[in-house]
Amino acid sequence: MTPETLQGMTQDFMMTETDPQMVKSPEVALAVRNLNFYYGENHALHDISVDFPARRVTAMIGPSGCGKSTLLRVFNRMYDLYPGQRATGEVIFDGRNVLDRDLDLNILRARVGMVFQKPTPFPMSIYDNIAFGVRLHEKLNKADMDARVQDVLTRVALWNEVRDRLNAPASGLSGGQQQRLCIARSIATRPEVLLLDEPTSALDPISTARIEELLDELKEEFTIAIVTHNMQQAARCADQVAFFYMGRLIEVDSADRMFTNPKQQQTQDYITGRFG
Amino acid sequence: MSETTVSTNGWKPNPRAARRRSADHLATAFGMVMAGILVLVLASILWTLLSRGLAGLSAAAIMKPMGPPGSSSGLANAIVGSLIQTFLALLMATPLGLGCGIYLSEYGAKTNRFASCVRFVSDVLMSVPSILVGLFVYQVMVAPFGHFSALAGSVALAILAVPIIVRTTEDMLRLVPTSMREAGAALGATRWRVTLSLCLRSAKTGVLTGILLALARVSGETAPLLFTSLGNQNWSFSLNRPMASLPVTIYQYAGASYEDWVQLAWAGALLVTMGVLAINIAVRVSARRG
Repeated sequence: MTPETLQGMTQDFMMTETDPQMVKSPEVALAVRNLNFYYGENHALHDISVDFPARRVTAMIGPSGCGKSTLLRVFNRMYDLYPGQRATGEVIFDGRNVLDRDLDLNILRARVGMVFQKPTPFPMSIYDNIAFGVRLHEKLNKADMDARVQDVLTRVALWNEVRDRLNAPASGLSGGQQQRLCIARSIATRPEVLLLDEPTSALDPISTARIEELLDELKEEFTIAIVTHNMQQAARCADQVAFFYMGRLIEVDSADRMFTNPKQQQTQDYITGRFG
Repeated sequence: MSETTVSTNGWKPNPRAARRRSADHLATAFGMVMAGILVLVLASILWTLLSRGLAGLSAAAIMKPMGPPGSSSGLANAIVGSLIQTFLALLMATPLGLGCGIYLSEYGAKTNRFASCVRFVSDVLMSVPSILVGLFVYQVMVAPFGHFSALAGSVALAILAVPIIVRTTEDMLRLVPTSMREAGAALGATRWRVTLSLCLRSAKTGVLTGILLALARVSGETAPLLFTSLGNQNWSFSLNRPMASLPVTIYQYAGASYEDWVQLAWAGALLVTMGVLAINIAVRVSARRG
């Protein structure tokens, strides 16, 4: 045994030792390891392993039914609402496996926010739409709550449009405004991760552009995972792109490399529009 | 332009088309006649009610309590008795119906055996003859105590109201989109919080409509009260004793051979009908606002 091989073995040993540490390192917000997901008998995700870097935008792309939304809904255990859906493997977030049975889901969902495809304003005022989520987790006095509401509405560039009608029902807002309100509502609970499930697919191009700008600002503070069908959107917003096909992760890379020089033929075919 | 090539053959009369057209006219006429008959029936009921009822509807009829024939008596105690019993019934039926409807919609999936059972029982209860409900309450709340009571009457009415509230509550909650529940859960709200603050709030107009419909349904019921609250000639505010009600009074007075009692029965019928009409209008107004 030469000293070189010995050193190599030590390095290998140390690599495996430090691996969990890397998972916990602040640079990786969500570490997915050997994740499998089942809708009853239907095996929807196969052995997914991927890291979501902190304070970066990771876009998940792929044809309909490829499992990208399913993966997103694992991160906040949304699937728990439905009996028959289950996941195995690990999703490490802040040192804990999100899939643990005894994890407090309400705390998890306060720390991992989610915005859906269709804007879902709650049947209450604009102000209360924001305050609803905050009140679930914090006890704020009126002044602090007012400040929080103004802060998040300003960040989603909605404050100037609604400041005079905070007590009006949120259902009176336009679609684009409603979606920005939903994003404001999600960040009002001060999460660390923001999950976005095709947040602009129901919006017009102008509203879409505003939300994309918003993502750029939000990523300074949040780790963002976005599911999108829009290749340009992924190219514009994302730092990292993951391509899914038939429940498998085909390729994950930086957005630049993914769209200029993908390693897999399937990725190439999908992003050039040959299928999907 | 050269000579026209338009053939006029396509426009020659087609006997099949004419036959179809006359069948269409016939069907339309049939529908209109049937609708007309229905309106006529309802209109003649209302006309009879108005012409007879208005004659008996005096200040005395509303202000004075019931009394012996020929004593210029009224219906005051029956009106108040009806109000007390129906609202008491609603007070009992609303929490039960709401809770049950919420359970069926939010917790009782279609595959849940217990929930299917509850749903079935509630639907059957909705079509049980009301006199049967009266007999049942008589057996459990009147016979054992040896006397009729207003409380027993209210319970009988409540039993009739519950399934209506259950059904409308479940149906209205099911109309709330799943995305609302997911959005609430995604913020870290518990299921109960989502149900109460989001789902029930979205569905509140429909749920309220259901409660008002149940109120309209039971406020004219006579059969369940016959063996339970019985009726009372005098003022009584005790829930533990027989209490007068409009439907039972109508039943007693309409068949009597005293002219003034018959007239009071018509006035009472008019009052009940106007009450139900008012509730139905309230339902429509609240539905439109929602």
